[in-house]
Amino acid sequence: MSADQTQPAAVGDLPGRRRVAVVTVGVVFWTWLSLRWAYHNTVLDAVATALGVPDLIRSETAVLAREPWLPTAPFANAAETLTAVGADLGPLGLVAEWLAWPFELTAFAIEGGPAMAAGAFITVYLTLASMVLGLAIAVPLSVARVYGGWLVRHISLAYTELVRGTPLLAQLFLLYYGLPLAEEIEGLGFVGEGAVPRAAVFVAIVGFTINSSAYQAEYIRGALQSVDSGQLVAARSIGLSKAAGIRHVVLPQGLRYAIPGWTNEFVYLIKYSSLAAFITVPELFRQARIIASDSFRVTDTYVVVAVLYLALVLTTALAMDRLESAVAVPGLGPADER
Amino acid sequence: MSLLRLEDVEKSYGTEEVLHGVGFEMDTRDVDVIVGPSGSGKSTLLRCVNRLTEIDGGSIFLDDEDVHAMDENDLRRRVGMVFQDFNLFAHRTAVGNVTLGLTEVLDLPSGEAHDRAMEYLDRVGLAEQADSYPAELSGGQKQRVGIARSLAMDPELILFDEPTSALDPELIGEVLGVMNDLADEGMTMLCVTHEMGFARSAATTLTFLDDGRIVERGPPEQLFDDPEHDRTREFLGDLTEIH
Repeated sequence: MSADQTQPAAVGDLPGRRRVAVVTVGVVFWTWLSLRWAYHNTVLDAVATALGVPDLIRSETAVLAREPWLPTAPFANAAETLTAVGADLGPLGLVAEWLAWPFELTAFAIEGGPAMAAGAFITVYLTLASMVLGLAIAVPLSVARVYGGWLVRHISLAYTELVRGTPLLAQLFLLYYGLPLAEEIEGLGFVGEGAVPRAAVFVAIVGFTINSSAYQAEYIRGALQSVDSGQLVAARSIGLSKAAGIRHVVLPQGLRYAIPGWTNEFVYLIKYSSLAAFITVPELFRQARIIASDSFRVTDTYVVVAVLYLALVLTTALAMDRLESAVAVPGLGPADER
Repeated sequence: MSLLRLEDVEKSYGTEEVLHGVGFEMDTRDVDVIVGPSGSGKSTLLRCVNRLTEIDGGSIFLDDEDVHAMDENDLRRRVGMVFQDFNLFAHRTAVGNVTLGLTEVLDLPSGEAHDRAMEYLDRVGLAEQADSYPAELSGGQKQRVGIARSLAMDPELILFDEPTSALDPELIGEVLGVMNDLADEGMTMLCVTHEMGFARSAATTLTFLDDGRIVERGPPEQLFDDPEHDRTREFLGDLTEIH
């Protein structure tokens, strides 16, 4: 799954002004996304209403009916003017049309932005939840694989190969349409009420967690195996049990080695979370499909969506870069390989 | 009553026999030095004592207790070990290397563990490097941290597995200095080493191990000056010439 990935760690190395530019774009993007989320949040709406400002938050607005905060008219007008000018220019009109396209696209993006923000927000928490839960499974899985006895080693191997060896979409369909998982979750009562997402979202998190845990386990296994075996021997020689030695000596080093691979998986999960669209989760890619089929502007829709995914991915790469240097230890880890 | 007693210890790796019936005793405050050519089973013998390697035959007693009847973690708390390539925990500072055993094995509260760790680092002359990571220390400093880490557990016996073999010649002295101090203070030490100067000056007993058997064992003066076996004379003669 990582073969087509390039190392996404370059953003943090950018010098001075370019770095400021990247950070500014990031801050604007995340501010917009968070405000969009807050503006339509049911819980915040209830709080605001209780505080006596009932119109501050508009949680009742359906996703596709949400109003943009920027006017589309100036951009649409500019595009129209350019096109009109182009119509009189004969063959040169093509150039005017090209020049008009960015304005058209901007107007389109502003219009579709609120719905896409709602989707992007789901993409974010889908990815975060699945990464964290996946990690919680991947760590024991990889430890079992490297340090376990025959049986646990093979159970871990079987799990990993089964999950990695079958298509993610098939796994999601099995979970959503095959098993009664969605009904069970729906039966919990509070699911789908207020700010709690619908059952499909939970099924998607389960699916991505399972899938991601297998890939994360492979990255961590590799990292654990690169920890010098003398480290565990030394831990055991002062009286630590094998489990304590793994926990206090091997894992702190191995997990540091695993960060670049883990970043790769994180970035990948952001994008393959788009498969949740096929089990009705209204995340970014599904919003895009709805907008594209409503507007028939397929190219424009997917260009805007690509930019949004790119913003999510670059932010993640930047954050993981920060994490890597925050936990760096002299002489340890890929940043200081000798 | 002896602190450590080995009886007829045998060990093989697959079909290769490494130890053929090794037996000896050492008392508290003894400094026992084992020498022998490489591949003679010296390191294996040490690792059998704290059960990093399990023996195939014979028995080992610590304080008259069969070590194979003991919990291995309890055993290792009582028997420290210093390694040839230090094996310091790479992600922890010098003081962090010493405190890990104190907090996780001896269950000391972290403040107390830190104080005790500093005390032992000071004892090996490294109080000022307490916050350095292993990668920032010289080989000699790393090995002194390794000794402090082992010493802080207050063991009854420390095993030294060629503690100076991975060091540059100019760094050997500082480690041997610490080991000499320990010997003077009455620490019980079982050392595998090629440092003949240390063996002659600090050892109470010298053992010459060859091909998994004890060829000769006795006071160092006797082995150096008047060995019973030609093989001992040959080996020690060669080594003394080199050093």
